[in-house]
Amino acid sequence: MEKIGILIETKDDVIKKTNFGMISQVRGQTRGLCALVMNAKGSLYQEQLQAYGIEKIIDIATGEGPLQWNPVAWAGAIISAMNQFGINTLCGLTSALGKDLLPRIAARLDAPLVMDCMEIDLVRHTAKKSQFSGKTVATIKVSGHHYVFGMRPNAAEAAPQPCESELIAYHVPAESPDLAVRQIKQDAAQGIDLTEADVIISGGRGMENAENFDILFECAQVIGAAVGASRAAVDAGWVPHTMQVGQTGATVNPKVYIACGISGSVQHFAGMKTSGLIVAVNTDPEAGIVKNCDYYMVADLFDVIPVLTDRLKAAVEDN
Amino acid sequence: MRTYLILKPILVALGIIAGFGYFFIRSRRLVHLMCRAPGPKNIPCDRLFERFKVFFTEILLQTRVREKFLPGLAHIMIFFGFIIVLPHTIELMVAGIFPGFGFVNIVPGIYGTYAVIADIIAFLTLVGLAYGLFRRTIIRPAYLTDGPDSRLILLFTAVIILSFFSYNAFRVVLHQALLQGFKGYYVLSYPLSQLLRLESLGRGNLILGLEISFWIHISAILFFLVYIPGSKHLHILAAIPNIILGPLEIPKPMVKSDLEDEEIESFGLGKVNQLTWQNILNLYACTECGRCEEKCPADLTGKPLSPKRIIMDLKADLLCQSAEKPDAIEPIVRNGAPITEDVIWSCTTCRACESICPIHIQHLDVILEMRKNLVLMESRFPRELQETFANLEHQFNPWGFSAETRADWCDGLEVPLMTDHPEADILYFVGCAGAFDERGKKVSRATVNLLRKAGIDFAILGPEERCTGDSARRAGNEYIAQMLIESNVATFNRYKPAKILTGCPHCYNIIKNEYPQFGAAFEVVHHAEFFSELISAGRLKIDAAMEKIVTLHDSCYLGRWNGLYNAPRSILDAIAGVQHNEMERIGGNGLCCGAGGSRMFMEEKIGKRINIERIEEALATGAQIVAAVCPFCNAMLSDGVVECGSSVAVMDIAEILDAVT
Repeated sequence: MEKIGILIETKDDVIKKTNFGMISQVRGQTRGLCALVMNAKGSLYQEQLQAYGIEKIIDIATGEGPLQWNPVAWAGAIISAMNQFGINTLCGLTSALGKDLLPRIAARLDAPLVMDCMEIDLVRHTAKKSQFSGKTVATIKVSGHHYVFGMRPNAAEAAPQPCESELIAYHVPAESPDLAVRQIKQDAAQGIDLTEADVIISGGRGMENAENFDILFECAQVIGAAVGASRAAVDAGWVPHTMQVGQTGATVNPKVYIACGISGSVQHFAGMKTSGLIVAVNTDPEAGIVKNCDYYMVADLFDVIPVLTDRLKAAVEDN
Repeated sequence: MRTYLILKPILVALGIIAGFGYFFIRSRRLVHLMCRAPGPKNIPCDRLFERFKVFFTEILLQTRVREKFLPGLAHIMIFFGFIIVLPHTIELMVAGIFPGFGFVNIVPGIYGTYAVIADIIAFLTLVGLAYGLFRRTIIRPAYLTDGPDSRLILLFTAVIILSFFSYNAFRVVLHQALLQGFKGYYVLSYPLSQLLRLESLGRGNLILGLEISFWIHISAILFFLVYIPGSKHLHILAAIPNIILGPLEIPKPMVKSDLEDEEIESFGLGKVNQLTWQNILNLYACTECGRCEEKCPADLTGKPLSPKRIIMDLKADLLCQSAEKPDAIEPIVRNGAPITEDVIWSCTTCRACESICPIHIQHLDVILEMRKNLVLMESRFPRELQETFANLEHQFNPWGFSAETRADWCDGLEVPLMTDHPEADILYFVGCAGAFDERGKKVSRATVNLLRKAGIDFAILGPEERCTGDSARRAGNEYIAQMLIESNVATFNRYKPAKILTGCPHCYNIIKNEYPQFGAAFEVVHHAEFFSELISAGRLKIDAAMEKIVTLHDSCYLGRWNGLYNAPRSILDAIAGVQHNEMERIGGNGLCCGAGGSRMFMEEKIGKRINIERIEEALATGAQIVAAVCPFCNAMLSDGVVECGSSVAVMDIAEILDAVT
């Protein structure tokens, strides 16, 4: 009998939306889905998690409080919880955290590991993942006593399926002797992670300065979009490098990409060409982006974006 | 006195044995390091006439040294001065052991001529040395390494020359009888003796002066000899062989690593014991003049790379770890070592350092091999290259566009494919930028227009074309590079084109100079060269004028890597109305745009942007059009123009030509 544990990722004490897609995808294949929560705030999430069919929430913490981030200690704690509760299959996200954590766990359990899965079949132990820049899909079958899968963020749609859940506190030792985390530094990126966003609004040289990016942030906030930037805007120091989309920045594939004041050099286009729908707003009808988008508007972004924000706000309120 | 006369030959002999013996031991270690080096063992002794020509122009005429006029002149004075006092020094050494020996007795006629020349040139050496000291203490160029080592060398040389004069001055007075006929030949030493009124000294004092001069001269020479192998002045021994045995042509391929050989445990250059003997000779030959550093676009814009420092640091590392067993040798890039990953990845491979180096040091040979080692053995490279590598591997272009869409740029132009028209006169190799970049596509279309206007029978490969592998190879990924190269080589060999036309200097360089390593040697021409020939042949008629001020940006891979500077200029000159204003740094001296060596696909996080530095120079010419011959230069310069808030047009030479034909 397979017992599935799902590693829940949170940010600022909020469950990342993409976890629910993962839960929805693996749910129904087996009973008794466990969620592993790492910040001692299981009770906070209980309602949300049971809405998606989680039956057991294992709240991993030390006696004193949450276990501080440390990939070695976390991996140890998760393995210990898996052993304690008889979990033999672990699913997590192929996020920055997942990429650090899941391979460690797999290595220590001597378990097969498949990362970046689009679909996981927990009964047959197969996972589908895209290969060759999305040209083919591989179905990978694994076998072992334990299994570890990393799910590609946003690969599955979230669908609620409420049930009753049980909250279990599980205590682990605080220290890891092997590795100490001294400092975690993060650039001052705002909002949603670019690589996980459904909609991205990006600004380029046409933004003119850092303050004008607020127009984009405001618009993005209404529809839960992420804000990106071209290299020119990053170079000018208006926004941090973490927001850069392109060959030397993030490669993104949102459903909708709105490029504002971006000329669309090949280097930028390379980073967002797989977007579902590309919309460009540019005053220059000759800009490269115009040839590579689905819709374009020859207009000043400072006229267009505030109107778009208003319309979106109205539409959200109507709903 | 008598005791001294008996002891002197013994002391001199002992001194010479000790000096030369110690020199021999120290040099033997240096030679040993070269002998045990891996890689090709052969010493190039082919093409003797050409090597003699290099000896003549670079060593006797010091052509590259003279590119800096005053320091060059000073170097010539010191170089020839040092050589000219050598016979005299040998004479003194022999005479020290066998009193009474003198060339003057053997070949009086020649000796007279020698004395005149030696006296004059030795004096000029002092002038050269004085300038050297002036340069180091007053001018102090930032690129010049100054320190006790270089000061000591100036001091040694000065002492050797001064003691040469004082010895001759005392001798000419003392041995009046013997040298009676010769005092006229000591054109400077004799007047010096008169100026100092040496004749008024007693004979005893004169002998004392002569002997002191003798000992100072001999000691300085012997100390210098011992000092050379451990100092940067090893240059005087290694520079000449380095020049003569170095590459004779401008174009040179990167080293082809045999990836199939299962015996090989390491690729590229990771440790100093992996340097080849020619690399090591390069290190020995460097005299730290800093001309490479002065020209390096990376150093110029505040990056941590200086070609000179790389050479100095490698030399220090080599000597420091020379006694270690192979297993105990530490990697070049290690904690606390001066050569860091940032240093290695800062290089644009523009080759300005090699072009300026007066003694032909091949900096790129080590830098590119170090990259190869980092990528293939350590998997350490700038994060952003990951995407480029993956795209090259999967879609055969750096941006990851679908390989199937490679010919989409010419939709509607009805450009024939090689599969349909294999006997075409010209295979037009479009390149990734020409096929996928909106800016590059415009250049490709202009090229097609021009080919049609000239009535050229051509075809493209379309989806059969793949990246040439330049970006991967220069970024150290020999594996992906060879994969791409081999596939293109197979395609070329299937069609056996009469001539390959490229729009990108990077494609041009690698197909021309590196594809022969993989079994494809075809005639390759860049469009600037090709169109310039078509104009001369009258096949392309320029029928409109262009009233514009144009400046031309030289591409490194066309220019410094292949010596092609004139073709694009001759096109500009052929267009009526064009006012061609040159930038300050042009030709072999041109400044890179910052994209070479796969830097196009890396972030430029440190220092000033190279493209800004270059575009500022271009804008200063008052140009309305900046002409480029490379899609990467075009992209970098276009970015620079916008960043500088200018509206100057950056156009490829093909686009300019298309507009007037």
